Amino acid sequence: MTNATSPDTYKRLLEVKGLQTYFKTDAGIVKAVDGISFTLNKGETLGIVGESGSGKSVTNLSIMRLIPSPPGKIVGGEVLFEGKDILKLSESELRHLRGNDISMIFQDPMTSLNPFLRISTQMIETIRLHKTMSRKEALAKSIEMLKLVGIPAAEERIHSYPHQFSGGMRQRVMIAMALSCEAKILIADEPTTALDVTIQAQILELIQELSKKLDTAVILITHDLGVVAGMCDTVCVMYAGKIVEKAKTDDLYAKPSHPYTFGLIQSVPRLDKAHDGKLFSIEGQPPNVIDLPPCCPFHPRCHKAMDICRTKYPPTKDLGNGHEVSCWLFIDEKEHSHE
Amino acid sequence: MTKYIIRRLLGIIPTLLVIITISFFIIRVAPGGPFDGERALPEVVKRNIEAKYHMNDPLIVQYGRYMFDVLRGDLGPSYRYKDHDVNFYIFQSLPNSMILGAIAISLSIIFGITSGMLAAVKQNTWVDYLSMALAVVGISVPLFVIGPVLQYIFAMRLGWFPTSGWFRSGDGWKTIVLPALTLAFADFATIARLTRSSMLETLRSDYIRTAKAKGMKPSAIIFKHSMKGAMLPIVSYLGPAFAGIITGSVVVETVFRIPGLGRFFVQSSFNRDYTLIVGVVIVYSVILVIMNFLVDIVYSLLDPRITYK
Amino acid sequence: MNLFNKKSNKLQTTNEFNQVVVGNSLTKDAWRRLKKNKMAVISVIIVIVYILLATLAPILPIYPYDEIILDHQHLKPSFSKNAGELLMEKRLADIYTQAWRQGRMQVSEAEEEMLWAWIDSSNANKVWDYMFVVGSEQVAEGTYTLTAAEKRIIENLEKKLQTDLQITVKKVWYTNSETGKKENVARLPVEQVVEIYAEMVGASIASVSNQYEREIEQQLVKVIMAQNTGLTPEEYLLLYDKKLESMSEREHDKLIKENVFSKIVSYAKDIASQDLKTAATDASAEFPLDKEISILGSLSADVEATRKHDRQYYLGTDNQGRDMLSRIIYGGQVSIAIGFIGTITSVLIGIVLGSLAGYLGGKVDYFIMRIVDIMYGLPYMLLVIIAMAIFGRNILNLFFALAIISWLTISRMVRGQIMSLKNQEFIEAARSMGAPTWRIIFKHLVPNSLSVIIVFSTLRIPSFIMTESFLSYLGLGVQAPYASWGSLVGDAVGGMTLYPWKLFFPAATMTIFLFAMNFLGDGLRDAFDPQSKNQL
Repeated sequence: MTNATSPDTYKRLLEVKGLQTYFKTDAGIVKAVDGISFTLNKGETLGIVGESGSGKSVTNLSIMRLIPSPPGKIVGGEVLFEGKDILKLSESELRHLRGNDISMIFQDPMTSLNPFLRISTQMIETIRLHKTMSRKEALAKSIEMLKLVGIPAAEERIHSYPHQFSGGMRQRVMIAMALSCEAKILIADEPTTALDVTIQAQILELIQELSKKLDTAVILITHDLGVVAGMCDTVCVMYAGKIVEKAKTDDLYAKPSHPYTFGLIQSVPRLDKAHDGKLFSIEGQPPNVIDLPPCCPFHPRCHKAMDICRTKYPPTKDLGNGHEVSCWLFIDEKEHSHE
Repeated sequence: MTKYIIRRLLGIIPTLLVIITISFFIIRVAPGGPFDGERALPEVVKRNIEAKYHMNDPLIVQYGRYMFDVLRGDLGPSYRYKDHDVNFYIFQSLPNSMILGAIAISLSIIFGITSGMLAAVKQNTWVDYLSMALAVVGISVPLFVIGPVLQYIFAMRLGWFPTSGWFRSGDGWKTIVLPALTLAFADFATIARLTRSSMLETLRSDYIRTAKAKGMKPSAIIFKHSMKGAMLPIVSYLGPAFAGIITGSVVVETVFRIPGLGRFFVQSSFNRDYTLIVGVVIVYSVILVIMNFLVDIVYSLLDPRITYK
Repeated sequence: MNLFNKKSNKLQTTNEFNQVVVGNSLTKDAWRRLKKNKMAVISVIIVIVYILLATLAPILPIYPYDEIILDHQHLKPSFSKNAGELLMEKRLADIYTQAWRQGRMQVSEAEEEMLWAWIDSSNANKVWDYMFVVGSEQVAEGTYTLTAAEKRIIENLEKKLQTDLQITVKKVWYTNSETGKKENVARLPVEQVVEIYAEMVGASIASVSNQYEREIEQQLVKVIMAQNTGLTPEEYLLLYDKKLESMSEREHDKLIKENVFSKIVSYAKDIASQDLKTAATDASAEFPLDKEISILGSLSADVEATRKHDRQYYLGTDNQGRDMLSRIIYGGQVSIAIGFIGTITSVLIGIVLGSLAGYLGGKVDYFIMRIVDIMYGLPYMLLVIIAMAIFGRNILNLFFALAIISWLTISRMVRGQIMSLKNQEFIEAARSMGAPTWRIIFKHLVPNSLSVIIVFSTLRIPSFIMTESFLSYLGLGVQAPYASWGSLVGDAVGGMTLYPWKLFFPAATMTIFLFAMNFLGDGLRDAFDPQSKNQL
């Protein structure tokens, strides 16, 4: 882990390079994801953090090529899974990849399971899509998976319909289903947002535990920095469709460089540090990403904004040990003139 | 489940009671009945007739007797035709209407669902535009325009089908094609539009996204994961659809001169033959009520979320 | 437009990125989306044109919709030829066809075959059209000569076309022999009008008054009989006496004056038509004409006269020689009015009952919804037919019957909307401030479900029009001389091979309107509920 920056191709499971996903709307083109890059290594847990609308979910739907089109379209970039560009796969290759190599858990367990089909049907079907198994074997495997995620009386309950489960239970079912084909990457898109706080911790623990057990790399999308601190090895902070800071989790917390990240960390309520009773908050609203002029999208809310922030998007600066930041604060005048 | 069915069956009773009560008062209260017609009847004759039809009993007794008769399945004598009672005429014409209606509703369901599904799956292609254009025609153009237009084109100009007649009266099976198509058109249109929009909605739902993320084939997604959910609005539309078929058959039977219940209904409403009109309405209502009941049962079988409490 | 743009420019606010910040008003948003939908915009224009035509019908330069001219039965639509020319064409085609059938006119073998094929497929119109052309050619070339009888027929028709006049008496003037003052008879007091009439026909005032009293009685009894069916003659007389008693002196006088004046007018018309007919025959007068004609000594009349067969029927005529164009426009008036008024009534009933059920809940809700459930189980269309059969077939009954049965769906919808809205915070707030129930319902809840109601109503109008025309088609709706699109189609179906225009034009007019309404409704729905289309 200490040497992650060295080129180590076999360890790089997923590489996203300059991904751009735009949506065409009545009001104009929404640049939901605009040129982001990151790498996911084997067994690693990557966190993507940002406010709602910052493009976290679109990023991950783009990786799976699940963007509803029209109106959405992936207009540029590469998504390399084990060296192959997912964006260039044929439909059938893509189907083989989905669920088998990369699987997903969605935000709302209430709507993500098909309400008209029994849990057993949905699980068996997933397994049999990617593994040559008889129906019976698949059922046994499903029950085993359900037990693994902690569903009591799985043998009986597997024949129920989704509406007979609680929200937390349904999310467990989703996790069981996602991991039933031993996927190499699990994308969890805000898996706990729709759940009660007590259940949230259980579900996150479950994901962590199972990913360790099955050696699955995880991309965890969340707006909760607390979750990231507890679970992730690496963190990407997204703002208005771009990654503004990327670092090892410990580095990020120790040395938040981008004013936005700084603000985010400051605004998390913490018991150990008393902030004279008042929480820090970032003033203002995230921008509308339609027809954004060239500038740092954060500048109106930034307390360290400079003139250049209003006219030009900052380049990415490597601060060492994989800590990258996109902010004019870290660009020297000299470097700037070279741009 | 059994409990649910029983509860629904009990729910039918008030509807039937209302229908019978309305029917009774229509016959009793309606002015311009068969006897205060054009000529003034002599007092004696009038009294005889009143006695025959039990018109001078107290109203409540009449009501009770009527209710009893209807529940027994006796719809009473016709005011206009003296040879037979209402039951005779209804049982003569009802099978014709039922055959026509059954064919029409099957056609509209089969073609409606097929073209609606195609339109949704091939959204924004010519398939979509064509079937939706056809559906808009079906919704905007009244039956009594479609009927004559089909008659004009396929019967008079092309000569493929006869303009009127009925196969049970010995005019060949071809006689049923145009009326059935005409009758099916409006419901076809609604079902096609409903199917398309509910299919599109289903295809956008989260659980379909899950299915895609699992790597399922588009065909499996459509038939295994979307069909059931997308069909629910269509099933609940079937109740109104049956009502529409009944109403429509009144026009279609008139246009194509089919000896069905609908045509009888129109004729007897011109004749002011109230017992016959009311008899037809009761029969139609009972059919409608039974159909609605069946639709409810089918719906509850389709949707696992419905509880039978 | 410019002014408007400037104004809205001023109001625009921008954020730090120079992006225009647009308020998220639902109606504004919906309006913007609607304007983008081409079909919806076209539909709006069509609907407006129809409504204008229907409302402006009385002042449009069209023939009266109920004017029967029996000579002009089933004339085909034509922009270039007037009724006289069409009549002549029809007669000639008839003569030539007869001549061919009787073997007096020769045509080539190929033509013969073609004509017989048409006859076999009962395509009489084509045969006549063709024979008219062939016959005219042959007469011009001299290969066929008309027989004496045929010539006489044609001459008679020509004369008839020349001399048949349509005369309207606009005003009748009375010149007072003593003062020499000219007065409008219609404005004179009753006694004087009666006097003038008595003088005109040379009868005593007593006999004149005897006559009009009798006629007025007949007229009133007729009205009473139309209003109340199924009564004995004695009862009618009783009602008549009551009616006479209830009438004031002035009303009575007015009836007398109307009666006598109409007689004077028809007398004047008789005399004027005799004069003008001779003028038309020897071509000593120009038509159309508008002048004063003296009738009898002290009486004269302003008379307007046109040749009856100079009329033009752009969309043809019906089986009684009525102009289809004006019948379609007036029919549209009836259909559109029923569509709109019926929808408004049923929506109002639906809103009141639906919101009461939704907001109050409990027993009220249960009761109203049970009624709705039961009524849903009825074949309501048939009940409307029964209602029409019982209460008489007129527009008002039709409209009530339709409104009473069509509030069910809207009330269910409003109930659903209200139930989902009533637990929201702004309602809690209103309630906590002590707003009365009706105010919460009609000031907070109903306006918030308005978009759903508007969309539904728009889609409801075409179905209302369809229902009305359905009944009229069966002959159970609008009755002659009134027309509606449905009754026009119904009247036309019988003769659709011979007179296809009678079916085509009303059907097309109605269909276009229904199309437009449906597209407009769909457009509104998509505009108010963009979720229904795939937009981000």
